[in-house]
Amino acid sequence: MLPCFSLQLNHAEMAAAARPLVTVQSLESDMATDATGIPLPSVMKASIRPDIVNFVHSNISKNSRQPYAVSRKAGHQTSAESWGTGRAVSRIPRVAGGGTHRAGQGAFGNMCRGGRMFAPTRIWRRWHRKINVNQKRYAVVSAIAASAVPSLVMARGHRIENVPELPLVVNDSIEGVEKTKNAISVLKQVGAFSDVEKAKDSVSIRPGKGKMRNRRYIGRKGPLIVYGNEGVKLVKAFRNIPGVEIANVDRLNLLKLAPGGHVGRFIIWTKSAFEKLDSIYGSFEKTSEKKKGYVLPRAKMENADLARIINSDEVQSVVRPIKKEVKRATMKKNPLKNLNTMLRLNPYAKTAKRMAVLAEEQRKKAKKEKLDSKRKPVSKEESAKIKAASKSWYKTMISDSDYAEFDVFTKWLGVSQ
Amino acid sequence: MTTVPGQLVWEIVKKNNSFLVKEFGNGTQSVQFSKEPNNLYNLNSYKHSGLANKKTVTIQPAGKEQAVLLATTKTKKQSKPASLLNKSILKKEFNRMAKAVVNQVASNYYRPDLKKAALARLSAVNRSLKVSKSGVKKKNRQVSRVYGRK
Repeated sequence: MLPCFSLQLNHAEMAAAARPLVTVQSLESDMATDATGIPLPSVMKASIRPDIVNFVHSNISKNSRQPYAVSRKAGHQTSAESWGTGRAVSRIPRVAGGGTHRAGQGAFGNMCRGGRMFAPTRIWRRWHRKINVNQKRYAVVSAIAASAVPSLVMARGHRIENVPELPLVVNDSIEGVEKTKNAISVLKQVGAFSDVEKAKDSVSIRPGKGKMRNRRYIGRKGPLIVYGNEGVKLVKAFRNIPGVEIANVDRLNLLKLAPGGHVGRFIIWTKSAFEKLDSIYGSFEKTSEKKKGYVLPRAKMENADLARIINSDEVQSVVRPIKKEVKRATMKKNPLKNLNTMLRLNPYAKTAKRMAVLAEEQRKKAKKEKLDSKRKPVSKEESAKIKAASKSWYKTMISDSDYAEFDVFTKWLGVSQ
Repeated sequence: MTTVPGQLVWEIVKKNNSFLVKEFGNGTQSVQFSKEPNNLYNLNSYKHSGLANKKTVTIQPAGKEQAVLLATTKTKKQSKPASLLNKSILKKEFNRMAKAVVNQVASNYYRPDLKKAALARLSAVNRSLKVSKSGVKKKNRQVSRVYGRK
């Protein structure tokens, strides 16, 4: 169960509170009435379901079809027999006999000239469709509700820029209009004439074979005039105006309310028709008087205004604040190449590196010094020192060694002790 | 008057309405335009739609030369199409008109998200009026020879 928001009134309150008044347009010849208006009938608050309307419309429009079929005997009025094999012809049945072109021609098959078609159309095809009564009513109710929304009526293509109010309710005096001339002037007063003009200008010859089949002209739909009382004169006055259609409230036709399956026909109501709507369709709680036990369909969402719901106190107070800064994926950097990422991972690396650098410098320095000292030419004192040192070392070596046959060597070396 | 919320109307209208124009391409490649008068970019989208929004702005040429019609819809009169629009005709030079448009659309918080669109449309309409006044540029049919050094 959804929590009940404070801005969503429950049914009873909503019915009473949100029933705006619709003013009745008066025609020129009327006496000025007190312009209070009629409260909007609940039908116009029903949920608008273009999907249901489309479905029901497509099914209902199948109901006025007349069957068509190919003749049952077509293609079979021959006594053809196959010649069998061995005659160098294909094996389809061929017309028997002789003396005419027809003899020996193929017959019976859908591929043969003059044969029966594939799957001959039959009259017992299921032409009509049954639709559940509730669905039909839902569709009608939806279509009526949609006709009260100016955006939808405009979207369907009607010219309602100059209409003083939607839904358009006209005083009952319109029911007494007898001449078409007056009917047109009434439409002009009410602001509906541009729609009629659009319909009149749009009359053209139908493309296609329909024009030879008694459906020669097509044109746009204009306003639909709904009246409340029987035997009213306006029917005859308005029916000859191109685009204009008339209907009685008691017998509203979905095919007229949503032509082509598209919701939002421009409807002109008479006052008595408008008042009857409540009793015919009932309200969301009250069952209808004319349709036994029927109650208007409930919407999936009572309050469909998303913007208002989202911005309401109830929702905003519980919602977390917007995250303005977007956390984006960081680029991976190689620690072995990038010092900072290495340090992020291993802080000791800094000192280790430093130590390594310093050690390297020491090594370099030491090597350089060594090389320099080696490459430097030896000074006289040093070389003398070196020579003296080597002599004395040799002497010590001799004296240390205690070699007995030293006499032999003295001759060789020529060294005098 | 039924206050059918704009979101609902948009859901019904977005795929199929008499103003919808699908052009230039197949399937997902095409652009969807919308011809209704209250649409500033003529794009078929919720934000710009003249059908699905309670507050809309429209800018159109107003018949007399150089006059531009600026109109906004009144939120309280949604069900009375004849008296829906606050119309005003702008005839001054462009800067003044631009200022007026900005005032009406953004400065009073009417539809601040449409400010750029409104100004863009204003300049487009203005330019088209200038062109219509001075006539479409006549291209010189004769090829002009350039006399110069060979």
